[in-house]
Amino acid sequence: MATKRLQNVSEKTVELALKEKADQAQAASFMWDSALTRFANSQIHQNVASKAGGVALKIVIDKRIGTLTVNTLEENRIKETIKQAVKIAKITPPNREFTGLPKPEKWAPIQGAFDKDTANCSPDYRADIVGEAIDTAHSKSPIVKAVAGSFSTEMLAFAVSNSLGVSAWAKISLASINTTVISELDGSEGFGYAEQSSRNVKDIRPAQIADRAAEKSISSVKPKKLSPGEYETVLSPLAVGTIFNYLGYIGFSATPFQDGQSFVKYHLKEQVFDRKVSVKDDARDEHSLIAVPVDGEGVPKKAVKLVDAGVVSERSICYDSLTGGREKGKRSTGHSFPPITSGFGQARPMPINVVAAPGDAAIEEMIKETGRGIFVTRFHYVNPVDPTKAILTGLTRDGTFLIEKGEIVGPIVNMRFTDSMLSALKRVPMIGKELEQGETATVPAIKLEKLRFTGVTQH
Amino acid sequence: MMFSELGKKSLEEAVREGASYADIRIGKIFDENLTIKRGVPERVTLLQKSGFGVRAIAKGAWGFASSVDLTKNEIVETTRRAVKIALASSRLKKKDVALTPQTTQRDKYTTPLKRDPFKVPLDEKLDVLLQAERTVAGHSNLIKSSSAFFRAVREEKLFMNTDGSEIIQEITWCGGGLLGIAVRNSEVQRRSYPSPFRGSFSTKGYEFFQTLDLPGHAKEVGQEAVDLLDAEKCPSEETNLVIRGDQLALQIHESCGHPTELDRALGTEADYAGTSFLTPEKLGKLRYGSDKVNIVADATVPGGLGTFGYDDEGTKAKQAYLVKKGLFTGYQTSRETAHELELEESSGGMRADSPLALPLIRMTNINLLPGDWKAEEIVEDTKSGILMLTNTSWSIDDKRLNFQFGTEIAWKIRNGSKGKMLKNPTYTGITPEFWGSCNAISKDDWMMWGTPNCGKGVPGQVMYVGHGCGTARFRSVRVGLIK
Ligand SMILES: [Zn+2]
Repeated sequence: MATKRLQNVSEKTVELALKEKADQAQAASFMWDSALTRFANSQIHQNVASKAGGVALKIVIDKRIGTLTVNTLEENRIKETIKQAVKIAKITPPNREFTGLPKPEKWAPIQGAFDKDTANCSPDYRADIVGEAIDTAHSKSPIVKAVAGSFSTEMLAFAVSNSLGVSAWAKISLASINTTVISELDGSEGFGYAEQSSRNVKDIRPAQIADRAAEKSISSVKPKKLSPGEYETVLSPLAVGTIFNYLGYIGFSATPFQDGQSFVKYHLKEQVFDRKVSVKDDARDEHSLIAVPVDGEGVPKKAVKLVDAGVVSERSICYDSLTGGREKGKRSTGHSFPPITSGFGQARPMPINVVAAPGDAAIEEMIKETGRGIFVTRFHYVNPVDPTKAILTGLTRDGTFLIEKGEIVGPIVNMRFTDSMLSALKRVPMIGKELEQGETATVPAIKLEKLRFTGVTQH
Repeated sequence: MMFSELGKKSLEEAVREGASYADIRIGKIFDENLTIKRGVPERVTLLQKSGFGVRAIAKGAWGFASSVDLTKNEIVETTRRAVKIALASSRLKKKDVALTPQTTQRDKYTTPLKRDPFKVPLDEKLDVLLQAERTVAGHSNLIKSSSAFFRAVREEKLFMNTDGSEIIQEITWCGGGLLGIAVRNSEVQRRSYPSPFRGSFSTKGYEFFQTLDLPGHAKEVGQEAVDLLDAEKCPSEETNLVIRGDQLALQIHESCGHPTELDRALGTEADYAGTSFLTPEKLGKLRYGSDKVNIVADATVPGGLGTFGYDDEGTKAKQAYLVKKGLFTGYQTSRETAHELELEESSGGMRADSPLALPLIRMTNINLLPGDWKAEEIVEDTKSGILMLTNTSWSIDDKRLNFQFGTEIAWKIRNGSKGKMLKNPTYTGITPEFWGSCNAISKDDWMMWGTPNCGKGVPGQVMYVGHGCGTARFRSVRVGLIK
């Protein structure tokens, strides 16, 4: 239903724009219904639901481009919007890099991307799930002090039409839970975290997630300080996902690639990572949660091999139509963002369906093979320090442990890492055999031969 | 139907459905974004957002629902939904929500401006950007990417609550900036003006953008980006660090702004951004910085990006001390969290990034009050040290203690004068030790910096906040960690 209505709105909008003498026009209309129950100190403290929607309109008059987004699907207001966008386009200087809106291509919907129960989930159901998570965590130990987190259920639908004949749509659902557990023993706090996302709300297992987070939290109290330095490091899938999301942003996006800021540009066809590392971006992979068959311009999403057996190349880059048109022989890979806009306006094209190839190791084996090293549950506040060298910095969080002689010997105070991912991922002795599904990345645990820790915090 | 009639309808419905308190915000946002990059208009975008959000307390718990559809039916439906959600929340409550008292307000507030940025013809704005961007690019063919930015935002909003408040506000802000990226072999250096991340912004009219004079500063942006390629690397050492306003603003933001948010200190952001080392038992006791350090949250400073008439739960804009003579003395609060600490009133820090989003405790303007130095004298007084400008990377832990910042550019200070240019500067520290080592704060270059990209909350919101500061000096800071 939703997609049919959106298709009509987009097609009608393009039709009306052409009547207003646009040379080319593109309309992406969308609906985004979301609900989120948030909890902290073991009770619900924020509980929200929102119905958003609108049209993102692009008007082209002889390479002069105006874009306008309005959050209504009402025809009369869209008509006004078109007139305004035409005005904007007329006085905007031409963009000589513009090579035209995308032409129609064959595409097929993704089966199973949308689940009705997830889209229609009630606040009472969310309260039940949250209650189960809170109770489970507290039942683990009397030292569990507080349980926090959120549980969200949402649906997004959009339809894109343009005057060259593009007509495509997408509809997805997503359910996500995350839990942070805080324990306290003799005035020392321990934190633990776990999360789960799925296209289907019925797959969400609050007890399992809370159990995992509580386990980490309970064993994190009374951490010891470890000196900064290079350590063997076992990264849980959550930590690996964060790293690949950042590499996507600073490296595999066409925007920094064309600005000369991406590390990929300076290592084309080089073996920059360990041969065992292979990563793709693929919306059609069964693990992908933002399972949209087309992007915000209606271009079919193509699978991009970001890292192929450790090698990066020109084929690792994700493009939208504008960045694709800027380089000879390149075209959009279907990585323009879906039309859910914020004040930031359009984002750079980048991978949002990262899937890494699994290895053959269990996390226990990685720990067993570690002489002296660090186990990282999760990273916090990661940011690029030098994108060209893929240097990232960030802190560990919610469960950091010292490994000695193949065993976890105890919790350690959170540490800051600052290191080039080109050296950290150069030698990866082991890769986990199980993939963990995250909102934008599905990845295994990995073991790094070394990661450079440059500081220690106080908890 | 007029907005106030729709609002009244919603509040009546909320009470009928069993809410003990409700408020509604109805609003429109116009957001104009212009980017010239490499000589072409990369983005000429207008975003129009409108809608409403209803917040209700029922059975002692919160519910919130919002929609873009501004019709009478939808207002009623959404209000019922908010109350229903509150009832679901009440199933997992430990105690009833209570709000600190507030004076009922019926008022109007409009950002004072000389020239409405939305009435300035688009081509006039684009011309300025094009001219400035071409000057950056034209400096050298080592400049591989250059951009010029303009952004203007107007928010028209109505707030009504069941206590009888009715507040209409029209808030306008604008500004912009420049970026030049120089590349040689695989080395990249960048320079921004007047501050990073698309520039600086102010609740003023187009006259603010004009005073930035982007074309007049474009040559220097290109020049410095290229010069940085040949600069020496920032040494790795402990030294006196002098930080100029465009970096100090972010230092204040991350190490004082966020940890003094009372929701963080009370644990309600634990699942995402984290908690705070400034826990309630430390209030009025913990030494946050040296006695030179005075920091306030102030939503009344003219031109501040976080300046308004009332916050999004109807509390009048005010100034509140966070740090007084180095002592941690206050929090940024909401009505609910203020009640929790038995404070007399809210600090007025509840803000939402659109009518569709739930208000959260957000920074307004977090300002380091001026000291008694001239910026120049601070450098002259420094025997050996480093002067750092313009943020490029930032990271701080989930209690806001261990931080590490990178800046675009730095200079060596030798015997009281600015010496060689340094590249890839970074510094790191622990918040109270760092502010405890602050031994000079300037007054002559004190100004408001505005950053529109502070992220917080789940679902995520992006807020525009201001920071007033000048230049400051810190003793024995670890710099240059990256080899
Ligand atoms: Zn922030």
